[in-house]
Amino acid sequence: MAFFGAWASADAPAEAPAPQYGAAMNYQLHCEGCHKADGSGQPGYIPALRDNVARFLAVPAGRAYLARVPGTSQSLLNDRERAEVLNWIVKTFDPQHLRADFAPYTEAELAHWRTDPISQASVERARVLALIGAPATTETKPR
Amino acid sequence: MKDNSWFDKWFENSSRTFAARSSRRSFLARLGVAMAGAAALPLLPVARLGRVEAAEAAPGQAWNDPKACDYWAYCATDGWLCTACGGTSSKCPPGTELSPIAWVGTCKNPGDGKSYVVAYHDCCGKSQCEYAYCNRNEGDLPRYRAQRSNAITWCFGGVSSTYNCTISRLMSVAK
Repeated sequence: MAFFGAWASADAPAEAPAPQYGAAMNYQLHCEGCHKADGSGQPGYIPALRDNVARFLAVPAGRAYLARVPGTSQSLLNDRERAEVLNWIVKTFDPQHLRADFAPYTEAELAHWRTDPISQASVERARVLALIGAPATTETKPR
Repeated sequence: MKDNSWFDKWFENSSRTFAARSSRRSFLARLGVAMAGAAALPLLPVARLGRVEAAEAAPGQAWNDPKACDYWAYCATDGWLCTACGGTSSKCPPGTELSPIAWVGTCKNPGDGKSYVVAYHDCCGKSQCEYAYCNRNEGDLPRYRAQRSNAITWCFGGVSSTYNCTISRLMSVAK
């Protein structure tokens, strides 16, 4: 039995399960490398979240945009974690644009939009900003 | 005991037959091979698993020396260490710029047993400083997962695209 017992233990997972982190830590690990700790981004290259991101929630296309952008849709986080991080981002970095009736992103919503990612983020961003009536930003450096 | 009598007889007979047509030396040799094989077979995956754990858990000899690749906060570094080029483990050498973009992971500090969030930045603006190459890959993913790959130069986004060396900035305790 020792023989078979040893075989059975060999089937144990080779890696420990990934640590479960909260939204703030997942922002650090998955977003901060580009968007910075304070959400300021990199002018001309990386969109700013601070004082900016919650504006997109004013229209359905904007809400979808935040769930479909490459940084969200290509993230290694699961749908629940991505919803948590998005909710944390809009509350933390842009509370002044966050409406009182904001309905938090849900896991199902993120799962839905994962199937429809944006390939041309700058084009979609310009379209959404036009819908909102906000001035266009130059978050992507002109080529 | 009665239940085992047939087995005893069978084993005695087969042993005598076996002994009659083979030398003791060869028997012992074959027995040894069989026992060693039986012992090694179930151990193979277990032993491999053990090595993986040991590699992650056991710090290198110079785990507390920022000039050495073993330094704990370099656990996913792939590049030339800035400590050999006029910088520190977390500051770029004079005359270079910090890359505005980084990839972020965690490293465990053997000193206090805690995992820390580490941002790997490149220093940019001077030619490659080839004194101390360090290539460790804890948490590293292939390049098609660019945001978690250590094989990418982060010298872009408003700074010189010339890569000089790599630093590890400690951001917080991972929790």
